[in-house]
Amino acid sequence: MQIYLPIAEISVNIFLLLGLGLGVGFLSGMFGVGGGFLMTPLLFFIGVPPAVAVSTEANQIVASSASGALAHWKRKTLDIKMGSLLLVGGSAGSIFGVQLFAFLRSLGQIDLIISLSYVSFLGIVGGLMFVESARSILKRNDPASARSRTGHRKRGWIDRLPFKMRFPASGLYISVIPPVLIGFFVGTLAAIMGVGGGFVMVPAMIYILRMPTNVVVGTSLFQILFVTALTTFLQATQNQTVDVVLAVLLIIGGVIGAQLGARAGRNVKAEELRALLAMMVLAVCFKLGWDLVAQPSDLFVVLPRGGEGH
Amino acid sequence: MLSGLILGLALQVQPQIANEAPGIVAALTHETVEIREDFAGMELVLYGATRGMTIQDEVVVVLRGPGRELRVMQKARSFGIWVNSAPREFEDIPSYYAIATSLPLSDIATPEQLAGSGIGLTATLVGNAGDGATIGETGQPDPYLAAIARSGLRANVYAEAQRGVEILDGGLFRATIALPPLTPVGNYVAEVYLFRDGRAIASRSTSLRVEKAGIERFVYETAHERPMLYGLFCVFIAMIAGYAANLAFSRR
Repeated sequence: MQIYLPIAEISVNIFLLLGLGLGVGFLSGMFGVGGGFLMTPLLFFIGVPPAVAVSTEANQIVASSASGALAHWKRKTLDIKMGSLLLVGGSAGSIFGVQLFAFLRSLGQIDLIISLSYVSFLGIVGGLMFVESARSILKRNDPASARSRTGHRKRGWIDRLPFKMRFPASGLYISVIPPVLIGFFVGTLAAIMGVGGGFVMVPAMIYILRMPTNVVVGTSLFQILFVTALTTFLQATQNQTVDVVLAVLLIIGGVIGAQLGARAGRNVKAEELRALLAMMVLAVCFKLGWDLVAQPSDLFVVLPRGGEGH
Repeated sequence: MLSGLILGLALQVQPQIANEAPGIVAALTHETVEIREDFAGMELVLYGATRGMTIQDEVVVVLRGPGRELRVMQKARSFGIWVNSAPREFEDIPSYYAIATSLPLSDIATPEQLAGSGIGLTATLVGNAGDGATIGETGQPDPYLAAIARSGLRANVYAEAQRGVEILDGGLFRATIALPPLTPVGNYVAEVYLFRDGRAIASRSTSLRVEKAGIERFVYETAHERPMLYGLFCVFIAMIAGYAANLAFSRR
């Protein structure tokens, strides 16, 4: 059954969209990742114009992060103060990102920038994830090497920055500059790549800010929720690239998939699946990278002037 | 009495028809095509009647969509990556262009004759490209215009079908034109030509409007005319969905 997407202006099979939402939602429920970094490239592959894919995916992430952030809110595994600071940076980053997006689109270079960003981020994240999971699979077979390296709480240059603030929920006393900068960077990514940015923010919170791991995911979801909400609103008002029909279909699939995935995730070996996810991420990265370097079938590209594309 | 009047009119009109120059009347089965959420393309049928049609006459139907501004860029390799470069802008390129004919186009007229009447994809693109278009040396079409033609053919919005017009008895004809799923919205013009010896001896144009309808139209119009409201609605619906998912999930 085909459905015509009003903003993307393409006709797509409704079950393909629900299936994509379900599949990516399953993975995100299982691994606790946002899934935006997989969904957006998949939307490119089925022919959704990149500008629409990125903006609409931000809209979908609002739903998935709202559900996750609420769960953490109820369990009180969320540092509101730190989250708000990340959000200040994130809002600025999102506003900047949407302007940059509009500017690059007017130059006809937005597709290239989106692809390049994806290739680099997917390459880094997939590579790290693969190495890490391979290492823990090996380690599990060799119990002697299972040593912990926690308690390494030195932050170095971060501690010398001014404007320090106390964060009771995280048990931290640090400068406000790093959280705002991290938030800004992630907000920009949300606008340009249509991702929540959890895959950047979570490691940054653990390794740069040294936040305790129990509040990291909730706080990151809190920030993502509001940054993607703002991004959706800005993309809708400035670029008119949010397709609500597409978003709703992805949300329905994603919500169900995430629940199934979370349940399935309890009964499986994490490392093997993480390695599998890493390989999928690398495969998407490779496909996007290949499209950048391979000789295109048509050496010319026809773009609409000013407006959105087909 | 009424029938007598009609008969009288008919008798009056009849001799004029025979003497009159060839002519065409044509009508589309749809004057408005609505694109709804389940739109996946459709067949548009144009019916018509000709006057003074002889056995060697052929019918050519051209349907063209609203013009739009395009930017065409050439991909060039830099640092191993294909980058869009050397943009050229075009003013008024038809967003849709289809031809249906009663015989293969090349059997109806020569390319020069067709171009003279402004019929054919290349002739239309060259005619509408504005100052930016320079038709290269003979037989060498401008690569940018050729790219526009290729891209349109790929999206099925340009079609030069070799047939599609059926000549029925008594100078009647029927043309079938396919509208693809990606049919652009706007005002269309259908031109019907009667060709004899490679020349258009009569023509007639009729119009068609393609517009979004239903939820489809509502969403599109809201997004473009009330973007703030639309943006807030998108965010709101996603938050509600997330909240509902959380409720459903935590109940178990």
